Amino acid sequence: MKKSRIGLLIAALGMIPATSWAQVKVGAKAEGAATKAQAEATVDADAPAAAAEGDAAAAGDAPAGEGEEPGAEGEGVGDICKIDPAACPVLDMPKEAARPIKESIYAVQQIYVMRARRFEFSPWWNLRSLNDQFVQHPGPGIGVNYYITNVLAIGANFRYYSPFNVDSAFNGQVRRAARVAVPLNEYDWGASLEFSYVFAYGKFAGFGDFIFEYDSYILGGVGALSTRPIAVIDPDNRNFEYEPKLAFNVGLGLRVFFNRWFAVNAAVKDYGFNEKLENLETSRQAPGDKSTWLGDNSFTQNVELQVGLSIFVPFSFDYRLPK
Amino acid sequence: MTRNPRFTKRLLSALTVGLALLAFTERSEAQELYLTGPLAGAPAVRKLRLYRQSRFEIAPAVSFTLLDEYQRTILLGGRLQYNFTDWLAVGAWGAYGGLIRLPTALTDNIQAVNKQRNDQFDACTTNPMASGCRTAALSKRLTEVNLGQDLEKQLGSIDWVVAPQITLTPLRGKLALFQSIYLDTDFYISGGAAFIGLTERADCDPCKGEFDTATRMAITPTFALGFSFYVNKWSALGFEYRGLPFAWNISGFDTAGGGKDNEFPDNKINEADQRFRFNQMMTLSYNIYLPTQYKVSE
Repeated sequence: MKKSRIGLLIAALGMIPATSWAQVKVGAKAEGAATKAQAEATVDADAPAAAAEGDAAAAGDAPAGEGEEPGAEGEGVGDICKIDPAACPVLDMPKEAARPIKESIYAVQQIYVMRARRFEFSPWWNLRSLNDQFVQHPGPGIGVNYYITNVLAIGANFRYYSPFNVDSAFNGQVRRAARVAVPLNEYDWGASLEFSYVFAYGKFAGFGDFIFEYDSYILGGVGALSTRPIAVIDPDNRNFEYEPKLAFNVGLGLRVFFNRWFAVNAAVKDYGFNEKLENLETSRQAPGDKSTWLGDNSFTQNVELQVGLSIFVPFSFDYRLPK
Repeated sequence: MTRNPRFTKRLLSALTVGLALLAFTERSEAQELYLTGPLAGAPAVRKLRLYRQSRFEIAPAVSFTLLDEYQRTILLGGRLQYNFTDWLAVGAWGAYGGLIRLPTALTDNIQAVNKQRNDQFDACTTNPMASGCRTAALSKRLTEVNLGQDLEKQLGSIDWVVAPQITLTPLRGKLALFQSIYLDTDFYISGGAAFIGLTERADCDPCKGEFDTATRMAITPTFALGFSFYVNKWSALGFEYRGLPFAWNISGFDTAGGGKDNEFPDNKINEADQRFRFNQMMTLSYNIYLPTQYKVSE
């Protein structure tokens, strides 16, 4: 029993030098007594009889010859010369040092999210029609993009408005007060093919404590938007059918990344199309004649604020170069 | 060594446990440093350029109202504030809206119809039996409370705004444009009270032929969200969205005050015709910071 206690004591004592070595290696407490302990430990480590050395070396702490610089240039060249004198490089070091260096250094060495050859799935909700005071067109949408390069993507999206159009009470107030009817239109669905280009990216520090990344993109495309007039001039006789129109779109978006595959996405998109408006005149002879229901055409721009998510697939990626 | 075997056992045990505990503690500290690396405990951002801290901000600005039904207003003004820290500032935003006002297509349409009616009605006074005079007279009578000779002159307008406010800047960052232009940027939130000078159609009862306007001041909470893009040590471009929710009569129409729930016209212009509206605007500014040299964090 007594021997076992002595053995435990020796084992505990044997751990102390290893502890000192760990401190020195990290370098956090290399001052005062610790420095002295390092010097003593180094001397002890060189002693062949030191039992603790084996333990420490096995633990991966301070290897023998720690003070040497195996990677130093002169020594490395010397080694080559010893092995193969013919391959021994002859360098004029001052001349080599004076040569201009053409090294490309990027301000951001590793972009947080690499997009190249990844798919982006983005469900969203159209929060507001930013330029239509009369009828709001909220609704869900979903898009998918494929990034050909890290900044350029081709994609498609689909938007659904039909059950969500909101005819503002303001329209009725104007009709009642001024006896002037404003032609109104509502939307059924929209679809687009588009290119997007990530022109800016950056990072934000929140309260100087946490950091998140974001990027910004522009987009442009072409597609269709199915719309119809809301019968306000002669609602008793007129009932319009939805009809798709060619629609061009441009937009500006912002993504805020939570991780390397998940982001919040907000975009302002402008869909321009040739809208057909309700005829302000009614035909007394044939109010049911559909050919008299439509009036002027008007180039209409529907500016939407869309807020949603972005999910990048595959979820992970590899950088081409190490950091 | 003492001859007391119990004392010897206790001494050995105490030494063993003590040394073991000492070794355990030291090893834990070393491991912690090893696992978290040399940046352990380091701040998220070093050498941050403190564009705001202890600096005055003078920002000439132009604001554009959004989603206007009858009239767009371009307000000219600016923001003056003092940044106590890089994230907290106190100041005020003010603007004048009496210089540039642009009627919307709706106003133009209503006025075109209104003028046509008035012309026809005037013609009918000399020849009441002419075609369309009955309809013109009916339209004139039904709109006599709401439409004067010129709709634009009865529209409500924002004349000026003064908004003392507190600004918080929770986010600071940088932006790379086309991999070639790099800007420091921040995102801020402002909140305060807004004092708004308004011109609206004056109260009237009866209102036939009465289309004078009157001024009043509305007080409402206001908030703003904005980005600053720093172009050099002492200036930045600012983009800001602002909300000013309050009730006012933007058209000068009699829209409420009578009938069920007071949701029908009562042939009077009064407070009941002021409709709550979430007024919003976008502001562009050029922010100048004084003194012109910023500080840098540790």
